[in-house]
Order: sequence, then C-alpha cells, then structure tokens
Amino acid sequence: MSNADALPTGGAPQAVPAWRAQLPTLIRVYGIILTLMLLLTVVTIGNPAFMSQQNVFNMASQWAPAGIMAVGMTFVILTGGFDLSVASAYSLCAVVAAYVGQAHAPPIAFAAAIAVGLLFGLANGILVAVVRINPFITTVGSGFIINGVALVMTQNAAFLVDDEAFGMLGAGRWHGIPYSGMLLVSFLVIFGLVLARTVYGEAVYAVGGNYEASRLSGIRVRAVVASTYVLLGGCVGLAGSIAASQLSSAQANLDPGIIFDVLTIVVVGGTSLSGGSGAMWRTAVGLAIIATISNGFVLLDISPYYQSIIKGSIIVAALALDTGLSRLVRAR
Amino acid sequence: MSPSPERLVPRPGAQWATASEPAPTLRRDLKSTVAIRVRNVSKAFPGVQALRGVNFELFAGEVHGLVGANGAGKSTFIRMLSGASRPDTGDIEVQGSPLFFDNPRQQRSVGIAAIYQELTIIPEMSALSNAFLGAAPSRFFFTDRRRMERRFAELAEWMGLKVAAHAKAGTLSVAQQQMLEIMRAVQADQSVLIMDEPTAPLGPYERSRLYDLIGRLKASGVSIIFISHDLDEVLRLCDRVSVMREGLLVATKPAAGWSKDSLVGAMLGNVEITAAPRRARAGCDELLRVSGVTLGDSVADISFILGAGEVLGIAGLVGAGRTELLRAIAGAEPGARGALRLAGVERALPWTVRDAIRLGVVLAPEDRKRQGLVLSRAALPNLMLADLGGVAVGLVIDRAATRARGTALARQLGFDPNRLGVEALTLSGGNQQKLVLGKWLNRKPRVLLLDEPTRGIDLGAKQEIFQTIRRLSAEGMGVILVSSDLEEVVEHADRVLVMARGRQIGLLEGEDATVERILNLIFAVEDRAIATGAN
Repeated sequence: MSNADALPTGGAPQAVPAWRAQLPTLIRVYGIILTLMLLLTVVTIGNPAFMSQQNVFNMASQWAPAGIMAVGMTFVILTGGFDLSVASAYSLCAVVAAYVGQAHAPPIAFAAAIAVGLLFGLANGILVAVVRINPFITTVGSGFIINGVALVMTQNAAFLVDDEAFGMLGAGRWHGIPYSGMLLVSFLVIFGLVLARTVYGEAVYAVGGNYEASRLSGIRVRAVVASTYVLLGGCVGLAGSIAASQLSSAQANLDPGIIFDVLTIVVVGGTSLSGGSGAMWRTAVGLAIIATISNGFVLLDISPYYQSIIKGSIIVAALALDTGLSRLVRAR
Repeated sequence: MSPSPERLVPRPGAQWATASEPAPTLRRDLKSTVAIRVRNVSKAFPGVQALRGVNFELFAGEVHGLVGANGAGKSTFIRMLSGASRPDTGDIEVQGSPLFFDNPRQQRSVGIAAIYQELTIIPEMSALSNAFLGAAPSRFFFTDRRRMERRFAELAEWMGLKVAAHAKAGTLSVAQQQMLEIMRAVQADQSVLIMDEPTAPLGPYERSRLYDLIGRLKASGVSIIFISHDLDEVLRLCDRVSVMREGLLVATKPAAGWSKDSLVGAMLGNVEITAAPRRARAGCDELLRVSGVTLGDSVADISFILGAGEVLGIAGLVGAGRTELLRAIAGAEPGARGALRLAGVERALPWTVRDAIRLGVVLAPEDRKRQGLVLSRAALPNLMLADLGGVAVGLVIDRAATRARGTALARQLGFDPNRLGVEALTLSGGNQQKLVLGKWLNRKPRVLLLDEPTRGIDLGAKQEIFQTIRRLSAEGMGVILVSSDLEEVVEHADRVLVMARGRQIGLLEGEDATVERILNLIFAVEDRAIATGAN
C-alpha cells in the first residue's frame, strides 16, 4: 500500500519500461556473467586454442587448488568473516601430504593433510567465533604460526615423494579428464547445493546478513561461524594434497600468493565482503574469469607486465561496478 | 558571518569568575529578535505523519521548553532544525535567512548546534580535541595548540568545568562529556543551542550546574530549545513552553501560563480515555509467573503473573527498563537473575535465547531492522528464520513446504504472499514488523513478548498486527506488550504494569488503567527521584 513498499521496478510512476527500470538490478545480478562471456569471446578470437578440450582440462587441473579453497572461502566470507591463513595452511597441508606419502599409501597421506587442514580451521573458527577476535588479525597470526610449523617440519627443504600412485590425485586423468578438475567441479556443485538448499546454508546467509537477529532467532551463531572455518580448513587440506600430488613434492612456502587468487575469485564473483550476500555460482564465475585472464593472456602473448595491469583493472572495475550499482539500486 | 572563536567569551585577560558578573555579549548583529522562525512545516515518513503544519518561533536569548509524549514529533522537529532532515513542506528561517539542509557543516555556520542524548564525543581523543572538533584554530596548516589550550582554559573556567585539557574524553563522566559538547558549540559561537533531554543522565548536583550554565548562555544572547520529560524543571527553567502531540504543535505559552497539570493535559489532548471492556483476569488460568527479575542497574526485582490469553502491557518512559525486562525473560541477557514458572514448571530464567524458544517464550525486539530481520534476505527466508529445521527433510530444505508454510503465515498476517520473494530491506516498516511476528508465529509460542511492535508503522499495518495478536491470545497465547504509545497500551492490554527507573511502581487493572493514571504514577516517581538525588 505505501510507496516505500514498491520495488524499483514495480509500478514505476513514469512510463519507464520495466526492463529499463530494472537494468541496474539486472547488471548487478548478472553483469559478472556478461564480463565472463566478453572475456571468453576476446580470448577465443585471439587464440582459438584457448577453447580446445585439452586447454580447458589443463586449466581445470591447474586451478583446482585455488578453486577448491575458494569454495570454502565463500562460506567464510558469507558469514562476514575472512581467512588470511590459507596460504600458509595450504603449504603446510601439502608438506604433511608429502611427508606422510613418503612412507605410507597415498590415501593415508591425503587424509592426514585434510585432517591437519580441519584442525587449523577449527582453531581459527574457535578464535573468531568463540573468543571473538577480529578474523583478520586472528588469521594473520595463525598464518604465521602455521608457516612456522611448516618451516620447522621441513627445515625449509622440499619433501620429494617417489611414488607414482601419489601423483594420481593431482595429475591422473580418466579419458583425458583430470581427477583434480572433477573434484573442483563436484565441490562447486555439492557445496553450491549445500549453500542454496540446506538448513546449514540458510543459517550461513542469516548469520552473515544479521548476526544479532540470527542470535535472537535461536540460530547457533557461534557454531555456524566456526564451522565455516572448519569447512575451509578441509578444502585447504584437499587443495594442499592436490598440489603436493601434482608436484610430487612440497615445501613450506609453496605459493604464498595463492591467498590473493582465492580472495579475488570469491570477491570478483560478487560475494559481498560484508557478509550475507553472494552465492556459489558467483564463485564459479569468478574462478572462470580469473582463470581466463591468467591463461588467456599467456595464449594471447601479452607481456606479463601488462597482464598484471589488466588483471588489476578488471578486478577493480568489477567491484566498482558492483558497488556503484548497489548504491543506485538502494537509492531508489 | 564567519564564526570567530573569540566572540562569545572574553578575550585573554578578562575575568568572569562568577555567574553574577555580566556575561559576555554576542557581537553578532542581530537583524531580528527572532532567532528561528518555522512556518507550516510538515514531514511524513512511510506510514507516519511525523509533523503536521508546525509553526514555531524562537526568540533571541530565550530558553524555550519543548515537551510531548514519545512519538509526538519532537525528535523529528529538532532533527529538522539542526538540518539533518528536510521538511516536506513549509520553511525555516534562521536569523531571517532560509535554512539549508543536508550539510551539517553549513549548518554550523548558520549558528545552530544540537546536543542529542547520544553524545558525539570521540572517547579516544582528548577533551581539548573534542571541544575543537572540526574547528581547530590553525596557523600555517598546523593546529594552533597554544591558542586552543588558552581558549579551553577560559571557556572551562567560564562554564565551571574542571577537566584537564588532555584527559581522554572517554574517561570523563557523562556530565563532563555533555559540558564538552556544549563547549564545542560555545567556542564556535553558535547562537542557538538545542538540548534534547540534557538532564536525563545527570544527578541533582550536575543538574544545578547545567541550569546555571543555561542561565549564563542565555544572558550572553544564546537562544536555547530545551527538551525534557521533567515538567517541573521545564517550568522552572524556561521562558516559554511549547507542547507537541501527534505531530502538531498544540500550544505555546509563557511558562507562567502553564501548570504541570495543564502541560500533561495538553500532551494528552482531549483523548477519550477508553474504558474498553476488559476480560476479568480471574477468568483465565496462570500461564507464566515471573519472579524477582533483576538485571544490573536497569531492572530491579520485577514480578508478575501472565494469564493464558492475556495481554499484559508494560508502560514506562524510555530507559525505565522495559526492553531489558523483556530481553531478560527471553534469554537475551545472560546477566539477568530471577525465576519463572511456565505452565506449572518452576525454573530459573532462560540462559540463552535458544533455551527460551524451547520453552515457547519468544521476543519480537524493538529494533526490527537490527535485531529482527536479515534485511539482505527475502521475506520468505526471514519468516523461516526461527525454525529453519521445521521445513527440511533431513538437512535439505523442502522448497515446496517452505513456500506453503510461508504463504499460510503471510495470509494470517495480512502480508501479500506474492511478495514473499522480495528483499526485506525494501519493505515498509509495517510489512517488516509482520515478518518479525510471522517468524515467531511459525514456532507457535506460548508467550509472545512484543517490544514496540508498532513503532514507525502505518495505521493499517498497526490494526492488522493487533488483530493477529487478539486472535492468538484468544487461542490461549500470553502476550506482553511494551509500547511508548500509552494509548495503545491502554487500549490493547488487559492489565498494565507501570515501570520507572527499573522498578515496578504499579499494576493497573480495568477502569484504573488509563493514560492519566500511568503518567501520574511515573511522574510521581520521577519527581521523587529528582528530589532525593537518586539517578
């Protein structure tokens, strides 16, 4: 009945066509897909080899660790949290996998890595949700600790695994399809469904959207927040296993920059850093965008210096567009 | 007229030791004797007409009292004078020139400063920095610290404030912080001060100091709008007093022309005190017995009985402890002590919200946006918020069942089921409140605690909400209703528990439960508290 109830679109006073009134909302929701399609088109025209089956499979395998961690990170960010310790934890889990894999069967090695990931995830979760330390500070601190543990374990040397079976997880293929790529896709799908269709997913959105209202509605807010860090820890464990398996070795500083890939994937997809809004399909699209930029630019023979500039611009532009349009939609 | 820091208060060397000495005069050329003129100003918010054609004049050098019940429009009015909110119609003139909006900085240069109940002191900064916030005197890009310190010392002496310039503002008492805010206005040479319940947090000694300061400010030509619930204070301190009610400025008279009774009468208007037929409480069984609820300084030893199907109203001023009492019963205040008996089972107060929900005691909190809803989610998930597992098969949410349950709830509440997919953020206050209620109806509670359920919502939604409440109480649910709208409490509650300063000061039933009785009870306690120095 009152005007405040009207959506930006519904019953707009002037004769503005509905689709045009809705344009900012549409771009905000689906603009990211448009960006991806544009990128794909440009890169494919520049070098048709980009779309070849082999290249796509290679990309899936190459991006599996970052992508799987982005799945877990999506949950953490949706609750309004943050985890900067994943780079260190990723290396530590790879080191654990390689260390155990030197003496034991690969499944035991990978299980050990995942267990270590879960453990540190639980520690982060308890510190953030129960002790209530700021997640940024907590995970910077725990990142140092985890990195230190890995350094002590390895004495900063690489652990090599001389076992062909150990490489199956990361490098093995079934009819050309990499196992790691299959794992990545199934994680995106399964946890996408968890987020969109389960009681737990609903609670994650609620807690991230309004912590106090969720608490007063009887949701176990602390358990929900803590669990997302545990989930991310498990993802990190698997990602570390895949990396160790791909390289047949691991060291304490495997890829410190991977944290930025993970965060960028989630945020470029449009999941809000303030929590409560976002989706797993967004993370999938974000992953595709980042992978296309990185891989496509190599195929297009663009100098790495320019790659960096273009990559940064696309990320900032995507966020600026999202923020600007949100404000526009809200302002009505 | 650029504000120069050296106008209002003496230059170095001058002495203003006592109040009896002549106060420093404003050197500003006053074009008129009217500091603020408000003509026919109206303002509507979605569902509420907050101000209706208000006309108002503030004379230069006058202390003007503004009184009215909660929700009468005082806050909207002063927000408008301080430039924070724009009128829909009408205009406001300050010293003869029109007032601009949306720019607090510009507002400052106009010469109006508002001192709200929520102080804008930055606790981590020094008293000195706070007093000169945003207006520090500077020399070659650097703040001129020596000049600031000198001015601070002068002003502090003039105001009778004994605070070290470098003390952290956060370590000062509320009264001292308030003085700092006033100093901020004084040093910037503001000619109009708006004080919103400045004495509410103060003890008797601090109050008398503030009265003293107001006298000095007035003598130096500053005009003051003074808002307070303490009617004696208003009558003693003010030159003229205006009364607001339901968005109207009903009367302005010299203070001598008012009495406390006539003020209360004007605040209430010619309300027909409804003696609605109340159900005899003897007729209903005890549902909930609450005993000895105590929570820190805000709730002291409250006990009452709630019958099955009864609506119990709780009346009191803001800060009387009503919200805290509800939160304590709903398990949202871990520090609360007390016991309850629900349907014959004796136990301590619930220690968590989940615990209370399990008992069937649920709270619709006062701030629906911050405490009630997840605004970024659609209406439907908000309705399910308190019972996520209830529409799931195992852990997977059954979408069809959710939809059906949501539609049924929406129909019950008068919420358009076609809008269940709409983001809660974009809904009106009334519809948001329906979602908060629906969230709890979904759990079929035994006791529903409502904190300000109708604040800021339109009449239609109000009626629908009370219809729902009546229907549910007819089915045996117990309801506790807290509202600042006393007429609403009187109309809808079977009995009214009156609270003041955390204590229960009366339980009114039947014919006795009138707005007048409630206010008399409250003001009696407030007066006594002021007289004895309790705070």
